[in-house]
Amino acid sequence: MNKRIVYCVLGFHAIVALLAPLLPLAATDEQDPGATLQGFSSAHWLGTDALGRDILSRALHGGRPSLVIALLATALSAVIGVALGSLAALAGGWIDEALARLIDFLLAVPTLILLLLIASFFGHDPFVLSVTLGLMYAAPIARVARGSTQVLLARDFVRVARLQGGRGVNLLIGEVLPNVWRVVLTEIAMQFTWIILAFSSLSFLGLGASPPTPEWGLMIAEARSYMTINPLSVITPIVMLGSLVLAVQALVDRE
Amino acid sequence: MLFTLGAFVSLAVLSFLGIDALPGDGCTALLGRFGTPAKVAECREEHQLTDPVIVRLGNWANDVVHGDLGYSIKRDEQVAQIVLPRIRNTAMLAVVAALMAFPSAIVAGLLIGRYPQSRIGRAINTLGVVAMTLPEFVIATILWLVFSIWIPIFPGVTVVPSNATVVELLPHIWMPALTLAAVVFAHSMRTMKAGVTTIQLMPFVESARLRGTKERVTLLRHILPAALPPVVNTIAVDAAWLLTGTFVTEAVFNYRGLGRLAIDAISDRDTAVILPIVLFGLGVYLTMSLIADMVVRLLDPRLKQHRS
Amino acid sequence: MNTILQFDQVCVEARDRDRNRVVTPILQSVDLKVEMGERLGIVGGSGSGKSTLLRIAAGVLSPGLRLTSGTVSTAGVNMLDVEPKVRQEMYGSSVALVAQSLGEALTSHLTIRAHFRDTLGRDVADETILSSLDDAGLDGAKYLHRYPHQISGGERQRVLLALALVRSPSLLLLDEPTSALDIGIAADVLATINRLQKSRGFALVCVSHDFGVVGRVCDRVAVMSRGQIVEHGLTEHVLATPSASYTQSLLASIPRLHVRIREPQLSVQQPVVVVRDLTVIRSGSTRALDSINLEVGKGEVVGVIGESGSGKSTLLSVMCGLVSSTSGAIHDGNGFDLSTPLRDRPLAVLSEIQLVFQNPDDSLNPVRTVEQSMSRYTHVSRDEVLAALDAVELSQQFLSRRPSQMSGGEKQRVAVARALLAHPQLLLLDEVTSALDVTVQASVVKMLASVQSATGMSMVIVSHDIALIASFADRLIVLRNGRVVEQGSVDAVIDAPTDPYTQHLVKLAATTIRK
Repeated sequence: MNKRIVYCVLGFHAIVALLAPLLPLAATDEQDPGATLQGFSSAHWLGTDALGRDILSRALHGGRPSLVIALLATALSAVIGVALGSLAALAGGWIDEALARLIDFLLAVPTLILLLLIASFFGHDPFVLSVTLGLMYAAPIARVARGSTQVLLARDFVRVARLQGGRGVNLLIGEVLPNVWRVVLTEIAMQFTWIILAFSSLSFLGLGASPPTPEWGLMIAEARSYMTINPLSVITPIVMLGSLVLAVQALVDRE
Repeated sequence: MLFTLGAFVSLAVLSFLGIDALPGDGCTALLGRFGTPAKVAECREEHQLTDPVIVRLGNWANDVVHGDLGYSIKRDEQVAQIVLPRIRNTAMLAVVAALMAFPSAIVAGLLIGRYPQSRIGRAINTLGVVAMTLPEFVIATILWLVFSIWIPIFPGVTVVPSNATVVELLPHIWMPALTLAAVVFAHSMRTMKAGVTTIQLMPFVESARLRGTKERVTLLRHILPAALPPVVNTIAVDAAWLLTGTFVTEAVFNYRGLGRLAIDAISDRDTAVILPIVLFGLGVYLTMSLIADMVVRLLDPRLKQHRS
Repeated sequence: MNTILQFDQVCVEARDRDRNRVVTPILQSVDLKVEMGERLGIVGGSGSGKSTLLRIAAGVLSPGLRLTSGTVSTAGVNMLDVEPKVRQEMYGSSVALVAQSLGEALTSHLTIRAHFRDTLGRDVADETILSSLDDAGLDGAKYLHRYPHQISGGERQRVLLALALVRSPSLLLLDEPTSALDIGIAADVLATINRLQKSRGFALVCVSHDFGVVGRVCDRVAVMSRGQIVEHGLTEHVLATPSASYTQSLLASIPRLHVRIREPQLSVQQPVVVVRDLTVIRSGSTRALDSINLEVGKGEVVGVIGESGSGKSTLLSVMCGLVSSTSGAIHDGNGFDLSTPLRDRPLAVLSEIQLVFQNPDDSLNPVRTVEQSMSRYTHVSRDEVLAALDAVELSQQFLSRRPSQMSGGEKQRVAVARALLAHPQLLLLDEVTSALDVTVQASVVKMLASVQSATGMSMVIVSHDIALIASFADRLIVLRNGRVVEQGSVDAVIDAPTDPYTQHLVKLAATTIRK
């Protein structure tokens, strides 16, 4: 896909997510019993849903819950993962071995069930979900960071730096991390989309965002029964969600 | 192998403790919000839930080793009788989806990697990426719209009970299987394609061509086996997901598999049922990565020699 | 006579698709003619277009390249222009190319036998394969069921030759047939190529950066520079009386025994490093180094010679502390124990010994500029960085360059300059010129000589090339299988070697170019 289009789509989502509350939109929970499941109109540009709520307003607000969680969780997993992975590789020996085992161990945990459990028992508190996801997803990032740090530590320019007095964290920051970062970035972007998908899936199943909240997954779930009456109610959130994840995917795709 | 077993046991114990630590147990689940403290206490006494955690862990582990998965107070049924038919249904769904996705993904990846200019190849690649990136419920919704509403060839929602016979179940399997296949297809296809693209540029491929090896032989005997190992790993992860991660698809089509059961059990807070589902997930993941390791070792003589 | 290969005014250019469509000429009006049974060598530095020329002869045009004019005819066919199917059928039967590959030209998951069966068809008899391997100097029965990783580099090269020749092509194209091999093994492989050519009578075109290789297997030689053939003639004539100035400088750059770049100093002074009974045992029980004794005096240059696996790189790694020894003692001139791990050494001790590695692409951090790389750990001022760059003959423009913007020779100079900034007493040089063109190598070695005389620092220089080391060092050490088999002053070792292996090396070096 053309990179320029990708940046435009991402920019659009960033702006909308940040500014949605300030835009001159109908309130997301304002119901209009007299105008349910309507198509395009000047009052409701993208029509209304089964309760007569404005679809455009809800769709523009609908990414915020999952974006918040995805941003927090990916930032957390990136920091923890890169720090743990590269430090373990630097330390070597039993510390490294232990971390490698821990990573294998964490990778075996069925994330989706864990997510469902937490969402069900602790509610969809964004903070709890973000921290849990951030910790779980630190494992694959730590694995990638550890692998590429090991490769880098064996390279000549790092060995020369050690002969010139580079050691410990200073060596990591100076020689290793700028090179690790490029490799890890792809993994981080993939996680970002994955978390957005996971959260909207939770909402779709009724375990994520709870009903009055505008959220894409939830909107699709609610509107599915009326799909044949007002396709806009399903298509709008699908386009919003789809364009975001496809744009991130296109960004990291190295083709 | 030893690590896998150790990981399984320790994760199983962790799961037990973790789920035990969640607020609520079988009795609160059964009585729901009508349960007075007295009634709950009475129920707990009756089902030996008042023992310390460590004793219950010991009893549970002893039962599991002897083939007893426990008893669901909420559903008033042996857990094994609840879970096993669901595992069968999910396994059937997974097998059908795997057969739809993996062989075609390997062939498509090989050909698209070899002939990157082909228009059909590019179209398949793009479609695959879109299907891989979009959430399952969106794909399910689109497929449902196409194959159940516009061209009604498949039933949109499963109405057969969880213990239906295979023959009864079969007509209802196609839609969810197609959804799952669409989701995983692009993973292995793209891994394969990326492998072929890189490997084609390697000296040994050019060397084979330049000594007159036929194109078909070069593709099937020199490129394909070299590109397979990463695909094996991708397939292993996807296969594990097909067996344990199909919550959304099963929910959308109301397919009575393990995923559907997991969501119900989690909504009911029926921990007795959640626990074996978690264990099954762990076991499947660990087994799949073990199998993948072995297959990869078989494919590369350098690793084969190294390990033995 | 029949012409098997003909180039007529061939021009090829490269298009850079990303950067403003810059067009670089790769081949410029190349004319070439090879008759049946003839042996032509093509010599040139990296980027001279010699490999492109060879690949075009086989109908292969790498992505990004374009033939702009001229015609190529191989066995009477324009291979760039025919159906892929026709070209595929010509491979192996009328033309075969063995590309430069550092031993990766065989498929790792297939046995040697499977390689032949894929080339010849499933029903080929094992006898055919065996006799083909025998011809290439291999005991076929031993190799039939082996995988490529189970045989040595020289054996792989022989298998590739056997595969290329098994269907008796009339033209064999070789690209750097021995570049990854040790000098002794390379000589044997070249002898086999000669024998096969004589008995089979195919035409041979051999591309190499090394006049020595071409001198051994070719009657005629074409010298290439910047996409053009600058000189063309009988090998002996070109070697004896080169007419083009590029050929002259190329030949003058080749290190020769008895031709010194730096005068040896024979006075022994107090040592900067002392190695006693040093042994390094790698995984299992293989001895990478076995009871090494070595003293390097102040201002002395010690040359270490050995083939791959001789332990020469391990010796340097132990001396600077990157690898720890299994037993034995090593200390510096002040008696500081150099078996201390790097992280426990005071900075002053750390900077005493610096190392420059072999691979220019790996010696600098790809994300850092030259200035960042040079000053990050040494904490020196920009003036000092400039002075160090000046010492290695680089201008101040290089301060802000990144590794991707420099040539191999420039990167190695930066690596040397960075080592100088630590003001070491001892500089270790690990094959620092082996990845460079011979003319660049000559200028880097000259630069090293002037740095040595200006600073008076000691050096240990490691190489597989005895002539290069003999032109530079005061003292020579010959390593084989982790042991010192010979040592002494340069003149003593090259004039009267006592060890048979050294004798062999000196003889090969003396006959490399028949002048």
